[in-house]
Amino acid sequence: MIYSLNSVSKFFLQRREQVEALNAVTLQVCPGEQIALLGQSGAGKTTLFRLLNGTIRPTAGSLLFDGHDTASLTGIGLRAMRRRVGTIYQQHNLVPSLTALENTLSGALGRMSLLATLRGILQPAKADSELALHALELVGLADKRAARADELSGGQQQRLAAARVLMQSPDVILADEPTASLDPELAETMTSLLAGLARDSRKTLIMAVHKVDLATRYFPRVVGLRAGGLSFDVPQSEVRGDLLNSLYARDGKSPGDRDGDSLQYKFRCAR
Amino acid sequence: MLSVVAGFALLAFSWWFAEIRPGVLFHPATAAAIWNFVSRLFPPDLSTEFLRTVLRAVTQTMATAIAGTLLSITVALPLGVLATGTLWNRGVLVAANDRFAYGVGWMASRLARTILGFLRAVPDLVWALLFVAAVGLGPLAGTLALSVSYSGVLGRVYADVFEHVDPRPLEALQSTGATRMQIFLRGVWPQAVPHLTAYTLYSFECCLRAAAVLGFVGAGGIGYEISVSMRLFEYGQVLTLLLVFILLLIVTDAASRYLRTRSISGATSERKIRSEGTSSLKLLTNKSRRLVAWIAVLFLMVASFALAGFVPETLTQAGVLSRSTGFVGRMLPLDLSWAFVNSLGTALLQTIAISLMGTVIGMALAVILAVPATSTLTFVRGDSPGKHGIADRALRWLLFWSARLVLNILRSIPELVWVLICILAVGIGPFAGTIALGLHTAGVLGKLYAETMEEVPLRPVEALRSLGAGPIQVLLWAIWPQARPLLSSYTVLRWETNLRASTILGLVGGGGLGQVIYNNVQLGFYPRLTTLILLIYALVLASDWIGERLRLHVS
Repeated sequence: MIYSLNSVSKFFLQRREQVEALNAVTLQVCPGEQIALLGQSGAGKTTLFRLLNGTIRPTAGSLLFDGHDTASLTGIGLRAMRRRVGTIYQQHNLVPSLTALENTLSGALGRMSLLATLRGILQPAKADSELALHALELVGLADKRAARADELSGGQQQRLAAARVLMQSPDVILADEPTASLDPELAETMTSLLAGLARDSRKTLIMAVHKVDLATRYFPRVVGLRAGGLSFDVPQSEVRGDLLNSLYARDGKSPGDRDGDSLQYKFRCAR
Repeated sequence: MLSVVAGFALLAFSWWFAEIRPGVLFHPATAAAIWNFVSRLFPPDLSTEFLRTVLRAVTQTMATAIAGTLLSITVALPLGVLATGTLWNRGVLVAANDRFAYGVGWMASRLARTILGFLRAVPDLVWALLFVAAVGLGPLAGTLALSVSYSGVLGRVYADVFEHVDPRPLEALQSTGATRMQIFLRGVWPQAVPHLTAYTLYSFECCLRAAAVLGFVGAGGIGYEISVSMRLFEYGQVLTLLLVFILLLIVTDAASRYLRTRSISGATSERKIRSEGTSSLKLLTNKSRRLVAWIAVLFLMVASFALAGFVPETLTQAGVLSRSTGFVGRMLPLDLSWAFVNSLGTALLQTIAISLMGTVIGMALAVILAVPATSTLTFVRGDSPGKHGIADRALRWLLFWSARLVLNILRSIPELVWVLICILAVGIGPFAGTIALGLHTAGVLGKLYAETMEEVPLRPVEALRSLGAGPIQVLLWAIWPQARPLLSSYTVLRWETNLRASTILGLVGGGGLGQVIYNNVQLGFYPRLTTLILLIYALVLASDWIGERLRLHVS
């Protein structure tokens, strides 16, 4: 089990009011699984990703990463965990004034010593530069390596963010709606690129997708989030119209009063 | 490559001319001198007798700053209007075919700009020296110096504000047949007022700092008391004066920030004030309250002018007016004898060296202090994973606030006071001036650096943190690349300010041109003073030119 979430909740304080971003989410993820995450904006997808990559910690419940409770991780242990989780952000989160190559190189920071970091500012290690160039080639940006990140188009920035994750070479890839700002064709290319990569290198992939057909076509398992709670968690073959209707309905029922537990499957990790 | 070599050559040049002797810093005698100074700072002198002196000095400084600001506003407004290019020689208001009017307008605004530039370029302490020589010791000289110097600063800002108002309403007014005067009063002025108020309040703060320092050349106030107490080795008194000065700065800063937010956010805050007003002062009507406020302000102004030496006795005493005109006569013609001009070479190079070396030292210290003073680097988010024990939190808190405190102390103490302190450690000369400039610069730049790094977009920072980067890696890869252009241009701007400052460090023993100025004033060689002032003006023009190019280059 790479992730084991046990009724994880996350509250934020906003103007002295508690806002419930996630409410008692229970989820098990096996190594090498590919999961699509569906849900309206505000359903808690971004919060879930920030919990999964160790940026924030749960207000209640426990989150185990590879058997370790993330709440108890500190310093080096925390960095080691974060190194194994790569995130592609909704807004890409690139450093605008650095070049594409430098942004890609920064993916390797987690495994660089301080000395190597300092040396790398002047002259990055040869092995690292080669890896970074290879990553840029994979996403089709090799010719843009010297361009600043803020000079790239939205789609190119997206692919650059993917290259940074490839450079990091993590065990888990989290992708927070990376296709939201792309046109349909590019969105499909991006999805198939990430899904293919994960399948070939047996990486875990959790991706927030805003198009149902992409989710059912590329991902064996589909999870629906609604208003901070788990709405459904089913294999791709079981994604039906009524599930989606309740997920996207404006005045639908809250996830608490679903009819029965039949929609939650017990996924077992293959040995 | 070439720029690296040039950089090292400049550094070597500065090292040589600023007479940097790091050995002196580590000499046991230096440590003893510093310890002697620091230990005798405590306890601060709080005797009633001395506090009465402090109170008098503080009121004098305040009065000088208020009167100086008011006078400079009255000079700056007409000059600023005249210097506004959009009113006279370009943009929608100027008829392209009227060549004569165009030519006159162009000349007038050029002339006004040049005058403002000159007033601004000559340091206020040099103006103070001139006025002390012309009208005698006391706050009157200080007030006049401030009003001349800040006319230059404010006039330039006013002209820039007038030029950058939205031109569309002006065009509309012009099409109704309004005269240029009407367009200014009804179109430009209303748009400019909030910014004018904000800048004027800000310049009052600067004026207050300057007013405190002018005393070093005999213009009264806190600076005068500090220099007297330093000379008497009464360091406890120095500490009291410095603490009071810093307190004064904090209070003024808070008051002007309050007034500034009110003046910028016009309508909404006005409504808020009205609702607050009804709760606190129910008995008075809006109108009568405004009247009371105006009377209070008027009283404050009159009192300031009186305390700043604008009383009949001082003004008529021994004919201040005739003395001043006589003084101007004695400054001319300027001394251009080869012997004198030739002797200025070393002092000039020394001044440039002090400014460069002081900026470099300040930069290095600022970086060291700014990193822990950047809250986004030092503190971790409250809800980030990992157990952050009490000890860990306390350590981070302590690190952050001590860095901020050191920066604030470095910044609040004026350069000239730092020179006096450094002289105790390393003796009179350019080395003391350089360290003093470096310390003050570290305070100014460190605060700017920390604030810039805090305001960098945080998304890339979060991305790197989440892939396992440590704090130093985040600093080098996410914060520095984003903050670099601003940090560089702040540093270049500071160097320009420092070059001006290094021309006056010598007035209290910090080397450079100031030393020459001081000597010639003491000896009464006023024609030489004219030459020196023109030299400083040329130096400042050159540094403006270089700085502008450098800033374009780095950003």
